[in-house]
Amino acid sequence: MVDYGLIAMMILPILACIVLKVLFTPAGEGVQIAGALVYVEIPAPVMNLYISESQVNSWAVMISILGLCLYLTHGLTAKAVTRRQLIAEWLVEKSEKLVKDNMGGFFAEWGPFIAAIMGLSAFSSLICLVGLFSPTGDVNVTFGWAILVFFLIMFYKFRGGFWNYFKGLFKPIPVFAPMNLIGEIATPVSMAFRHYGNILSGAVISALIGSALTGLSKSLLGALPGILGDIPLLRVGLPAVLSIYFDVFSGVMQAFIFAMLTMLNVAGAVPWDAWNARRKKRNKPEIQNTAA
Amino acid sequence: MQNLDVISVNIWAIIASLCNLLILTLIVKKFLFKPVKKIIDTRRAAIDADYAQAAAARAEAEENRLNYEAAMAAAEQTSSQIIADATRVAEHRSSEIVAEAREKATELRRQAEADAVLERKKAEDDMKREIADVSAQLTGKLLQREINEEDHRALIDSFLQEIGTDDDDK
Repeated sequence: MVDYGLIAMMILPILACIVLKVLFTPAGEGVQIAGALVYVEIPAPVMNLYISESQVNSWAVMISILGLCLYLTHGLTAKAVTRRQLIAEWLVEKSEKLVKDNMGGFFAEWGPFIAAIMGLSAFSSLICLVGLFSPTGDVNVTFGWAILVFFLIMFYKFRGGFWNYFKGLFKPIPVFAPMNLIGEIATPVSMAFRHYGNILSGAVISALIGSALTGLSKSLLGALPGILGDIPLLRVGLPAVLSIYFDVFSGVMQAFIFAMLTMLNVAGAVPWDAWNARRKKRNKPEIQNTAA
Repeated sequence: MQNLDVISVNIWAIIASLCNLLILTLIVKKFLFKPVKKIIDTRRAAIDADYAQAAAARAEAEENRLNYEAAMAAAEQTSSQIIADATRVAEHRSSEIVAEAREKATELRRQAEADAVLERKKAEDDMKREIADVSAQLTGKLLQREINEEDHRALIDSFLQEIGTDDDDK
């Protein structure tokens, strides 16, 4: 009984998003390459707050993931008899191993964060398979994640002391300072744009191919009698095959790349020597990052 | 409702997505990692307990085996001891029995010899008396005279006594 409720918790938000989109989509003709559909616009300081498709779909994905987590961990037993428990343990162990292999033992607690990045990114990208707008195709979403990663990178860079960090910007020669500064900022921007660009380009290409095939179908088969001429028969097949690459493969790949970059950037940002030197001054034990 | 532009930076949307990721991290941590790790720890503890139990059982079995072997060795020793004791007792008893039997046989023989001696003496006495009677009668017949039988018997007795003593002296 609980299981059915949890499965409903996974599926219903997505269905609700589809219904919402169908209700709000304006009747339009031709190719539409645009950002997310805006549902509500709320006045706010600096700039107006839009409750757009990307927000709503993100929340739907989050609720679905919550439902998935609850479903996988429902009825856990020490003897691991159910398949879903095996899946849950596999997920946990794999993400922890991934984190440990890429970041080292010091970051052992980062499993949930990396798993959350991967899950949110992958499901947000894959949601376009049911015809919804991918939240990752909105630059604000990926930029938000990238800024969070940027904060984490900065947090660990400042562990070595702000002055050390500041001096590091002027190495190897002071002329490099602007470039180093840009390099710091480029990390989150490149992460955000890479992810966003890949997903959006996939969506754009899908839309273009769809409309092109529609036009081709109209010009080739338009002469057919009756309703047969109106159906874009050439759209059957090819877009689905391309979607496997542009939506499924690219979406999962970008989720993996974003998580990997997060791990490598954060783990590489820690100035171990400077941090341990500072800790030594305060009589704190030395930190060793085991087997990064 | 209108669509947003393809690239439309909105600070609130950025903050919202940042918060979304943080919230999802907490969700994944609380609802996936925590229960799964707890159950894995439980299983590990159970397996460790099982291993400890198995080791204890093996140690106990080994101890039992040693005890059993010791008991077996002791039992063997005891049994050989018992057999040796029994053999010794039996030998002792048999020699006793043989000695007793020999003694008894000797006794019997001695008694038989004594009886035989007694019989012979009795037979000798009877014979003497017979001889005395016969000689008395014979003498009476020979002499044809009635002598006092009492005197006669006394005479012969004394005579026989002499003979008897002579015999014994030989």
